[in-house]
Amino acid sequence: MQALAVIIWCISRFNIILGHFFSWFSLGIVLVCFTVVVLRYGFSIGFIWLQDLYVWLNAMMFMGIAGFALFNNSHVRVDIFYRPAGLRRKAIIDMFGSLFFIGPFVWVLTRWSWAYVERSWRLGESSANFGGLPGLYIIKSFILIFAFVVSIQALAMFLRGILVLTNNEKLLPKPYRYQEEP
Amino acid sequence: MDPVLIGELLSLLMFVAIIGVLLLGFPVAFSLAGTSVAFAGIGYLLGVFDPSNFNSLASRYIGVMLNEVLVAVPLFIFMGMMLERSGIAEKLLITMGRLFGTLRGGLGLSVIVVGALLAASTGIVGATVVTMGLLSLPAMLRAGYDPRLASGVICASGTLGQLIPPSTVLIFMGDMLSGINAQVQMQMGNFAPSPVSVGDLFAGAFVPGLLLIVLYMLWMVVKAVFSPHSCPALVVSAEERANLWKDVLVSLLPPLLLIFAVLGSILAGIATPTESASVGAVGAIFLAATRWRLSLQSLRQTMLATANITTMIFVILLGASVFSLVFRMMGGDELVAEFLNNLPGGKMGAILFVMLLMFLLGFILDTFEIIFIILPITAPVLLTMGVDPIWLGVIIAVNLQTSFLTPPFGFSLFYLRGVAPGSVSTRMIYEGALPFVALQLVAIITLLSFPELVTWLPNMLYGR
Repeated sequence: MQALAVIIWCISRFNIILGHFFSWFSLGIVLVCFTVVVLRYGFSIGFIWLQDLYVWLNAMMFMGIAGFALFNNSHVRVDIFYRPAGLRRKAIIDMFGSLFFIGPFVWVLTRWSWAYVERSWRLGESSANFGGLPGLYIIKSFILIFAFVVSIQALAMFLRGILVLTNNEKLLPKPYRYQEEP
Repeated sequence: MDPVLIGELLSLLMFVAIIGVLLLGFPVAFSLAGTSVAFAGIGYLLGVFDPSNFNSLASRYIGVMLNEVLVAVPLFIFMGMMLERSGIAEKLLITMGRLFGTLRGGLGLSVIVVGALLAASTGIVGATVVTMGLLSLPAMLRAGYDPRLASGVICASGTLGQLIPPSTVLIFMGDMLSGINAQVQMQMGNFAPSPVSVGDLFAGAFVPGLLLIVLYMLWMVVKAVFSPHSCPALVVSAEERANLWKDVLVSLLPPLLLIFAVLGSILAGIATPTESASVGAVGAIFLAATRWRLSLQSLRQTMLATANITTMIFVILLGASVFSLVFRMMGGDELVAEFLNNLPGGKMGAILFVMLLMFLLGFILDTFEIIFIILPITAPVLLTMGVDPIWLGVIIAVNLQTSFLTPPFGFSLFYLRGVAPGSVSTRMIYEGALPFVALQLVAIITLLSFPELVTWLPNMLYGR
């Protein structure tokens, strides 16, 4: 059980760090897009690569932070029945969902996107816009990164369910347990 | 059995199953994707689904990731969050309340106006109703407002954010409708269709949004005249009165100017929604800085909230696109087309059916889920029947807004319940919402009878 708690902690810690890192991208989107606006309307100049940059920042942000959002319960739930449910029931629903919803979804996504991403790397694909950024393969890789961060957090969710069902949730530090509804 | 029939049955079954699965309470995005994959598996075993269809998933996702228009979403959320976390939104509401609060019903009127404007910047019903409930419900109760009226006003103006540009809901709908419209026009042999843009949808939603604000305000005035005890005037001290004009200049005008500048530049066609949104976000940072409210902490909170909400919305879209892929590949779209085309009442019958379906789904799902699931499978049929895409987008927004307001399941009522003090009973919240539901119905009937209310402004501005 101690080992499970350590695994959950490691996974969550990893996604928390990633989440804080990618959240800075939101400020990046604001500043880069604003720069584009100033250059266009103030000086009538435009750089295609700069326009690519804020779109790419957004793509990396929302794909990269998806695991963190799963950790902090930001993904919306239909909570008519979930919210009033007890801790064990919540844990069972989350174990079921991570195993039977996230699992197959992530598998399908990885299985059928792998070749697509690999091809992009092989071709050294760059932006489709003339004068755009090189390295489109990095953005395409974020499909797999998304699959990875979500699946490890789903694993953590499943393991946490085991801890709850065996009355061992206390092994986890407070921020990593189920949060009380405000 | 005929494989076409099996596929259609399976896709119908999948839709029903998903509604049931969502009630479990696992995150919607993944429930959608997971259930769809399971049904794809069943379809594969029955020989009606080819797994190589999943090959198109990656390019669909990249299409969402590289969509420039959708970048307006995090930008507007950033702007809304910055205004909220830095306390600017709160000051705006309080000052507006003081400015008009000395009139009977004045506090209610200012809640309507500010609520609509603030709600617009995030476009997320729950968040807006919670913020408004925390800020203005206590203020209205202290002023001696009837709790029913106060909660009705808050729920109604909180949901208005769906409709008032720059609502994030409209951004997604505009982008989806533009793609669907181009496809439908192409199929009908029109190879140079007039494109539909997010700006068009903003312009189309402008008059209906105004109509609703005016209807709400009229109701407030009626209450003030015929039942003065339900909305008494605020008592303002001499000191507060002396400072009022300074507050108006400092707290009220700058954020209002910012919001109007952002909106105006989009409607006037000067800038794209994404460009305007970035100016709005920088403006919000600037306003926070001039008030000494810009700390590393408030910035980090804003960034985290922005990133979390953005990923929440986009991941629903990713999950829903697995659903629509499987649904379409099993022949579900033909089933929908056949069904909608055979409804009595032709075009109107089909529209009313889709609206009713969305209205009912609104009892369990939030806007984004509903439009991501329903729009791709029904909009192509409706547009082929000759429904105007902009009008469709706007009527959907008003319809969903009504759904979120309707007791006993309305979303916004639940959210308000969560933050309202115990002295306000659930029954009072329900009763307070009813007159506003009636106003919504008035608006829907008006828009059904006079579609020009939606199409007039975009036609005039952009000559569509």
